Amino acid sequence: MGFFRGMLNLDRRIIFILIAGAVVVPLFIPFHLKMHPTPASQGLYNAVEKLPEGSTVIISGEYDPGTAPEIQPMMIGALKHCFRKGIKVILMGLWPQGPALEGQALQEVFKEKEFKEMNLQYGKDYVNLGYKAGGAVVIQSMGTSIPATFPTDMAGTPIEKLPLMKGIRNFNDITFVLDFSAGDPGTPAWVMFAHDRFHVPMAAGCTAVSAPMLYPYLQTKQLSGLLGGLKGAADYEWLTKSSGTGIRYMPSQSIAHLVIVIFIIIGNIAFFVVRKGEKR
Amino acid sequence: MSTDIGVWIAAFLTLGILSFLYKDNPFYKVSESIFIGVSAAYWFVYMIYNVIEPNLLGNLQKGEWWYAVAGILGVMMLFRLIPKIGWLSRWAVAFMIGTGAGLNFIVYLQSNVMKQIRGTLAPLNSIGNIMMIVGVITGLIYFFFSAEHKGLLGGAAKVGIWFIMVSFGASFGYTVMARISLLIGRMHFLFSDWLGLLH
Amino acid sequence: MDTRFWTKEKCKWRRKVLPLTAFIILLALWGTIRAQSPVDTLPPSPPTEVTAFDTPNDAGKNITINWKLSTDDGAGRNIVKGYDILRSESQEGKFEVVGSVVAGISTFQDDKVKNRRNYFYKVRAKDHTSSDSPTVGPVQASGQWYHKGKTVVLIFVVIFTALVIYFVESAKKGKKLYVRPIPGMDAVDEAVGRATEMGRPILYILGLSTISDVATIASLTILGRVAKKVAEFQSKLLVPCYNPIVMTVAQEVVKNAYLDAGRPDSYDESNIWFLSSSQFAYAAGVNGIMLREKTATNFYLGMFYAESLILAETGNIAGSIQIAGTDAVTQLPFFITSCDYTLIGEEFYAASAYLSREPKLLGSIKAQDWGKAGLIALIILGGFFASFHFDTFINLFTVGH
Repeated sequence: MGFFRGMLNLDRRIIFILIAGAVVVPLFIPFHLKMHPTPASQGLYNAVEKLPEGSTVIISGEYDPGTAPEIQPMMIGALKHCFRKGIKVILMGLWPQGPALEGQALQEVFKEKEFKEMNLQYGKDYVNLGYKAGGAVVIQSMGTSIPATFPTDMAGTPIEKLPLMKGIRNFNDITFVLDFSAGDPGTPAWVMFAHDRFHVPMAAGCTAVSAPMLYPYLQTKQLSGLLGGLKGAADYEWLTKSSGTGIRYMPSQSIAHLVIVIFIIIGNIAFFVVRKGEKR
Repeated sequence: MSTDIGVWIAAFLTLGILSFLYKDNPFYKVSESIFIGVSAAYWFVYMIYNVIEPNLLGNLQKGEWWYAVAGILGVMMLFRLIPKIGWLSRWAVAFMIGTGAGLNFIVYLQSNVMKQIRGTLAPLNSIGNIMMIVGVITGLIYFFFSAEHKGLLGGAAKVGIWFIMVSFGASFGYTVMARISLLIGRMHFLFSDWLGLLH
Repeated sequence: MDTRFWTKEKCKWRRKVLPLTAFIILLALWGTIRAQSPVDTLPPSPPTEVTAFDTPNDAGKNITINWKLSTDDGAGRNIVKGYDILRSESQEGKFEVVGSVVAGISTFQDDKVKNRRNYFYKVRAKDHTSSDSPTVGPVQASGQWYHKGKTVVLIFVVIFTALVIYFVESAKKGKKLYVRPIPGMDAVDEAVGRATEMGRPILYILGLSTISDVATIASLTILGRVAKKVAEFQSKLLVPCYNPIVMTVAQEVVKNAYLDAGRPDSYDESNIWFLSSSQFAYAAGVNGIMLREKTATNFYLGMFYAESLILAETGNIAGSIQIAGTDAVTQLPFFITSCDYTLIGEEFYAASAYLSREPKLLGSIKAQDWGKAGLIALIILGGFFASFHFDTFINLFTVGH
């Protein structure tokens, strides 16, 4: 009884220390976890895997440094997957910091020997169109004309000077859309306009917070696949057989979850035991 | 250990914010104030160079004068700072709400109602499908306000709230996962980028 | 018989024949190799069954071209690299490439055409060499006023709008529209009463959205009701605001409520003030108020984001009674775990309609109920039809693009 009462009145700072320990220790003592990709992650992987060589994919980033730990590994995974398959990539973002983070993701990818040796060229194999304000309205406008929506790329180069953008008029010339978003405007806008209105097939990756809201789009096949949070990112890395922070952070994530689950169970037992004791 | 001054500042601010977990203290207050001040300035500059300049001034320079209409509506938004002519800002707000509603009404109906109903119309041949249909129907009944929740309707609403609670539980779990991921990202920053203990 | 192969005479003859034979064999071999090698020089088989037609249900200036893939695309010799789409304004005229697609794609939309003008098309399968399909045409582009694929959407819009207008009008005419009592709302009076007994103030948070947000408007309606109770009980109401415009409206609402309760003298404008427009600064400020003022009851009604848990958790630690209501789905779980009563999604709107009896709100709640009843009926019917594979009914909900 005393123990349970103590648990209910536990100083939350003890919980904070335990969680911090659960997060930090596995970073120093890494161990490998076998991943079991969810069908939603598998769906995204399969969709990209099926794209023919030479097709053009839009990768849009709606996230900021605050949510980058979850989204950035997905972005890096997607870039690697596309480059390996010889897919041309158009980067853009509906959040101001998205395209800058996409640039960082590119740098990360090119640090690896495999991709350095591919000798991919900006303007020919990939471009970064940058940020545009307006959310859903931007996507709507891209449906009419991409060059009119993005007259220049992020660096200010006129779009006509980029070989990759030759022949890209609107969504008719885009094979697939990958959207990585941490909130609004984000995936729902892409689903409603790019997929439902201009019928480009698409898949998405999102922070774990927004995953439950996006699941209904999977079931109706408005999304071919969905990466939810760090687990989704780790799944994708596992499926594409590449290493990254998704898989690297998974042990910390799992141990922290375990600690939380144990606290929830103890807390609930304590709650019922104490309540029963009080009734007597 | 890092020799980059930027990394040191970031580490100091991270620790300052995390110190709130122990209790409110001056380090936390300093970090928070810097955060608020910097983000306000950052957004202000960003909006000028990435929104107003390319989307308004750039188009006006090209001679596309009809963008001036949008510019005037934008200026009208600022009129609310002057109480006497504050009412003019309502025109701009009305324009935004009107176009927004027009654009979204059909799209929402199509994507979030029609397509979702279509997705729910599944044959009753598996437990998953039956659960889904029962969940959707009882969930809708819970949000039915024209009749009191008694008898059959009350029972259905009770089942509905159970489904809703389970989905909230899932949502809660996902949020915990998201928060832990962010904490891992920060810890990795502290031990790797700042202290150089991890590789 | 001379069996020796190389007799002098024979040798002479054979010396002439052998090189010739070798030459012929080599020639034959070369011929065979040549005959097999045209894999690279023979063009792929052309695309077939090319059709070009005005893109349906659009604003015009757009022609769709479909074709059947070349037999050497993904099958056969599998050499097709992609397709070019060629266009001309006359059958025999000069054809120009208007677009290209990668292998495996069998459709293209040409949006560089003018309305009501004749066009002819060909599709070219490309490898090192190429082969063209027969010419198709003439075809004209034109715009349509009505999108046939969206008839179902139109029907839904018409029915729903009619229901809203009907119920709002009936409510205006004074027809009694029943809305069931909402559990959290009954707790409002109790919570205000408790604060009075304890002699501590009540905290009311209007959420973090603007005045144009429905959630904020609903919250202001409930604020009016709470303020009236507070005025009657003579307790103290604190309303720190996130948005300056919401603040001015909130001041009006509370002032009117005090007037209604017959206590305009007790109204203090400084209790409804602007705190901060920065999300976490606002959260930190409200936390300070809760801990310093020891509020007995906290209301969180409106639109909330990530600060929801920070606010509700602090209130919970401080031991206040907490009532929350929002349609921010991602934040609801946090309110449910840390508040005593939570109005979930639409309940929050229904509560404001229930309290205000405002015809527009009541009418739309009623119309939505009818809409929901209709959806339930459709889903049940659809489930049965889907089980018996009667797809015509289900396809009614497939909206055309």
